[in-house]
Amino acid sequence: MSTLSEESRQIVASLAHRVGPNADIARIAQAIVSILQDMGAALTPIIGQQGVVALYRRSLHICVSTHPRLAGTYDSVQASLDLIALKFILVEQNETDALFFGDVLLTTFYELLTTLIGPSLTARLLRGVWEPSLSDTLSQETSP
Amino acid sequence: MSTKVTINRLATGVPGLDEVLGGGLPEFSFNLIAGPPGCGKTTLAHQMMFALATPERPALFFTVLGEPPLKMLRYQQQFDFFDSEAINQSIRYINLADDTLAGNLDEVLRRIVSEVEAHSPSLVFVDSFRSVVLASQTQDNPNNNLPQFVQQLGMLMTTWQATTFLIGEYFTETDTNPIFTVADGLIWLRQSVERNSMVRKMEIMKMRGQPTLPGLHTFRIATSGIKVFAPAPLNPVEAPQKSPIKRLKMGVPQLDEMLGGGLPQGYSLLVAGPSGSGKSILASTFLAEGARNGETGVIAVFEQRPNHSQNTTLAGLIQSGQVSLVDSRAPDLSIDEIVQLLLSEISRLKATRVVIDSLSGFELALAPTFREDFRESLSRMVSALTGAGVSVLMTSELEDRYTDLRFSPYGTAFLTDAIIVQRYIEVQSRLLRIMAVVKVRASAHSDELRLYRIDNNGLQIGEMLPDQEGLLGGRPTRRRVGKEEA
Repeated sequence: MSTLSEESRQIVASLAHRVGPNADIARIAQAIVSILQDMGAALTPIIGQQGVVALYRRSLHICVSTHPRLAGTYDSVQASLDLIALKFILVEQNETDALFFGDVLLTTFYELLTTLIGPSLTARLLRGVWEPSLSDTLSQETSP
Repeated sequence: MSTKVTINRLATGVPGLDEVLGGGLPEFSFNLIAGPPGCGKTTLAHQMMFALATPERPALFFTVLGEPPLKMLRYQQQFDFFDSEAINQSIRYINLADDTLAGNLDEVLRRIVSEVEAHSPSLVFVDSFRSVVLASQTQDNPNNNLPQFVQQLGMLMTTWQATTFLIGEYFTETDTNPIFTVADGLIWLRQSVERNSMVRKMEIMKMRGQPTLPGLHTFRIATSGIKVFAPAPLNPVEAPQKSPIKRLKMGVPQLDEMLGGGLPQGYSLLVAGPSGSGKSILASTFLAEGARNGETGVIAVFEQRPNHSQNTTLAGLIQSGQVSLVDSRAPDLSIDEIVQLLLSEISRLKATRVVIDSLSGFELALAPTFREDFRESLSRMVSALTGAGVSVLMTSELEDRYTDLRFSPYGTAFLTDAIIVQRYIEVQSRLLRIMAVVKVRASAHSDELRLYRIDNNGLQIGEMLPDQEGLLGGRPTRRRVGKEEA
């Protein structure tokens, strides 16, 4: 679907934007985790903590089963929405692998939500996650 | 007088609901939408929410336990009223599952109040409220006082100028439940199942401060949302008949004569006769005559294949838009739904002539649950239609019985203002048709039994058969002229 590829492009751009020009592994891990956190923050009030955890676990499961090379590395983080554990694993990867995983996971999460509640509502709910980074106001989103 | 508070009534955005509520939803009221699972409670809430919420006065939708919000969003967006753009603008969903699971009603109340203070909503929904109650009951906590909780919630929401809806699964309305007492409004949704038919019904059991329409009102859920079929309002005072009475031509000149100059305007006419006697032909002639005089008409056909049975005259009229075809093959019809369909077509076309072909098919189209009240339903339909000022022609299938003179199998003949009866008779090894005008209320009419035949030009009325007697017995005998002359 063309809308999805558009969204995927946005997600990849957003991740790249958060990582910034100096793509060291710590920044990449931090960017992935912060996007997941922002998505969680946007969705939790509406679908509840349990709903977000379920989406995250399903997304991880899909990532690992569609990209077998991710299996060995990320099998262990499927248990819960433990972003600290995820970050811990991410920083041990090389930059390319971590970025690839980030793109795949975030896109999968987005697409999963789209299959459940449709593209327009998904875009509506997660708009705030991508918008600040796309409008080039980095300062807005770095504050915790 | 002017110092009394004025209660604004909100238009719910649900077709028919405002009428049933008695003029809309009282602002700042505290309401319960109740009913068994699957009866449309959440859909009703969403439809009202999307109609009423604005960015300035948003709606808060608290999801508690019960239907997971992801699924609710998934299914609710199938409806036309669902607008994704409104989410997080004029409509906010807030999930209280964790607070409810703890079973502490005070905490739940605190969360609701803090969100209400933060957003100043005009509308608050709690779905499902039943789960709040159940969660609190599982805790062995004496502080969880449900009546107190409900009472406080009701008071707080009204003070914050929020119109509130609690949505809950309740099965029996006779429960003594503190919610029923505190609520200003009780909207009860039901599903009535009989054999293979299911009819949704709604009852406003309570709505403080306004006259609701009592009883059960049918509604449907389609992709456009809920539609309630409120009974057609009856004019309390019928307009006095104008004299001289304006009469409508039937399209058969001799029949007009028999009726005393045509069918008086605003009358209901029953055409009763056996299968094949030409009732439908007379009905389409009636509409065609109207069209010839620049009038429009509406025909309701209750047949399995309405297009199949249409004659070319009628098909042409429908094609040209002079006659509107109401062909509701939706299952489980209610009388109010049919009346509403007819009335909306009548007002759309400014129609003056209406045909219902036939009452027998109409009875079959009704959901079984309404068939018991068929006479009453028919009476309501006839009054609603004639109340709208149109003239109505209804056909009624009648098995020929030669032992008595019947007009309709329903005992409904008295409901109509005029009756034409058609019969078969046997004369000289031929099956002939005769027709008579039995009744035209407050008007002189012919008492003749006239032969008629049907040809390519329609219905042709012929002579009487003065030399035959016993026509209504079906097997007339030649009158013995000589005896009388003697």
